[in-house]
This record gives sequence, structure tokens and C-alpha cells, in this order.
Amino acid sequence: MATKQVRYEALVKALHGDLYRYGYWLTHDKQVAEDLVQETFLRAWRALDSLKDEKAAKSWLITILRRENARRFERKRFDMSEYEEASIMDTQSTSTEQEIENDWLRDKIAKLPPEYSEPLVLQVLGGYSGEDIASMLNLNKNTVMTRLFRARNQLKDALEKEPENMRLIHE
Amino acid sequence: MNDKTMSDSIMPENKMDDLQFRRSIYADPTSLDKDIIAAQKADPAKKQLAQELSRLDEKLKQAMKVPVPDDLCNRLLLRQTLASHQQEKRKTRIHLALAASVAIVAGVVVNYLQFSSSYTNLGDYALAHVYHEQNYFSNDDNTRVSLTSLNKKMTAFNGNFSESMGELIFADYCRFDGMKSLHLVFQGLTDTVTVFVVPKKEHLAFTDKFSDKKLQGESLSFKHANILVVADKNESLSQWQSTINDNITWSI
Repeated sequence: MATKQVRYEALVKALHGDLYRYGYWLTHDKQVAEDLVQETFLRAWRALDSLKDEKAAKSWLITILRRENARRFERKRFDMSEYEEASIMDTQSTSTEQEIENDWLRDKIAKLPPEYSEPLVLQVLGGYSGEDIASMLNLNKNTVMTRLFRARNQLKDALEKEPENMRLIHE
Repeated sequence: MNDKTMSDSIMPENKMDDLQFRRSIYADPTSLDKDIIAAQKADPAKKQLAQELSRLDEKLKQAMKVPVPDDLCNRLLLRQTLASHQQEKRKTRIHLALAASVAIVAGVVVNYLQFSSSYTNLGDYALAHVYHEQNYFSNDDNTRVSLTSLNKKMTAFNGNFSESMGELIFADYCRFDGMKSLHLVFQGLTDTVTVFVVPKKEHLAFTDKFSDKKLQGESLSFKHANILVVADKNESLSQWQSTINDNITWSI
């Protein structure tokens, strides 16, 4: 019992941030992301004995979170792809230059089609390889690589269309 | 696929062409694939593209790291603690219920063992009872019980003794195989003589004479009660029986 508690606490502490961010990029909503993380960890607690390899913990949790997210769509069948941009992030009136850059990029990432942004987040934020992402998303590796290519291609295009942001990549 | 970036140069077959390189480096700027590395070394433009994309990735990573709510971690731990506390409470209730069941069963068993007869007849029980209490009484005890107080106790059996039948050392109610009985101890010739007044119940078979190596006993059956006399072998039981028989009167 005690060891289960210890394992669980370690998991929460180490991975709740990654999971929250993943949930955020999946849903573009802070509150929904938080709810998803809550649900995910609650399920993880119940199923903790089935997690044999601690190294696989993150992808295991991400899989649970994706399933929870899918369940959310089953529950309320409304289209979540139309979101208000204001809800993406708080508008920061007093922002540093770095934060302005980040906001601008976040907006662009959020505008990617979800099938492109999801593998991109897994790769950039999660550090997963193409193979890992393919198995997590139930896709073949070529599809994943194509989507990653398109995701970056679109982001780069967007950057190039707005010359004032070119410094982001050329500075 | 974006065709406008297709390179015009024709690369040797074993080398990576521009399109292939572009696809690969866009899909994974940090790729350690040896062909990709080799292509970067061979062509400064490819190397620059790779570096550009790496910088973009670095920016993307920063942007993707949206702030995590400060208290999320604590809330997650708290929620789990509460959830498992509920579970614990449920478990505790189950354990408590189990413990209660066990206690009830144990109680019933003890009760059954204590108050159920392990003896099948009056004689066996009477002997066991006398042996059990033989250390409490001695023929030399000086305590005496008066006829009045004996008869007061006999009212429970609607009986009455007209005369004293001997030196009565002890008279009190006792449990005779679960039945409320009167236990009398008289002074005898060599050892105490025990007389039981036992209500008539069917679960012990009536035995008029019984004995073992040391003790002997006889039962007298009256309408509402049995009277048993138990004494050592020096005692004349028939004399005791007739004394009792002559003295006792039953009110109903």
C-alpha cells in the first residue's frame, strides 16, 4: 500500500506538468486540460499495478489521457475544433518579449490541424521518436513523419508570411 | 508535399536528394540518421536549414511549455488521498462488519458450549458438578444455613422442608446444566453430602442410581423436581433419601 502511494506521488510529481501541457495542446482549454489530468491520474491510481515499467509511465499516462479525451467527445457531441482564440491563453498586457513570441507561436500551433499538432507536441515536448508516436497514435510511422513534416512546413510558412517574426528563426 | 522547393540538381542515386532531405529534416530536425548527417556535411545550405529548424523547434518547445497551474500537483495528490481514504473507510467498514460477524458467531458458539448439555443424564452431570466444586466445601466447615433460609430458597421450587435434615453448610442456587437449581451441601459422616434440587427437564435422562470409583448418587423424582443426593461411599444414600422424602412437602 505504502509503496503504491510512493510510486503514485512520484508519478504525479514527475509527470503532471507534461501531461497537463499535452492535455492543453489536445484541447486548447486550460480547464478541460486540468480535468483531463485529474481523470487520468485517478484512473492511473486504480490501474497502477498494471504499470510494470516506470520508463513507459509517461506514454502510458498519455494513452490514458487521450482515451479520456475521446470519452469526453462521446459524452458531449459538440464540435470542439471551433474555439475562441481568447480562450487559448490569457492576453498578457504586460509581457516580456519572450512571452510575446511564445504567444504568437502558441497561436500558430493552435491553428494547426489537430492531426498535425498532436504528433508535433509529442515529438517536441514529449521527446518521442517517430516510432513511439506512431504506436501511441495507432498510425504507421510514414504517416507520422508526413504529418510532422507538414506541421513544421505550415509553421515555417506562417512565420515567413509575417516578416516581423522572422527573427524567431533567424536571430 | 510542396513541389516548389524541389531541387533542380540531380543527386547521385546513393546520396539523399533535396526533397528527401527536406522531408526528413522537417519531420525530425534532431534526427541522428547517418544519411541526414552526411547530407548536412556535404551541403552548407542543408546544414543551415537543419539549424534553422532546430532553432524553430527550440522556440516551439518554449511556446508549448504553457504554464502549469501551481497547485495542480497538490490537488492531484489531495484528490487521490481523499479517494483512497474513502476506499479505506469502505474497507474499514467491511472489516468492522466481518469482525462483528465473527464476534457474533463466537458468542453463539460459546453460549452453545456453555449452556448446552454435554452430559446426557442427571447422574453424570451431578457427579461432574460435585467434583467441580469439591474444593469449595469441606466437611469441617463451620458455616451453617438455617432451615428458614433454606425454605426461602425452596419456594422457587414450591417445596418446603419441615425439619432440618442435618448440618447444612451451604445452600444456594446454581446452574445445574443450564437449569436454575438449588445446591445444598450437608455435613456427612466422612465427607460432605451434596443435594441438588433440580427442575424437571427432559434434556437430561433421569437416572435413579449412579456412581463412580469415589462417589455415589441417587435421584428421587417428584412431580415438579428431581432431588439428587451425591456422597462418598461411606454414606447411606437410602437414609438420606427417606429423610428428604419424609421432610419435603410440595405446595403444588
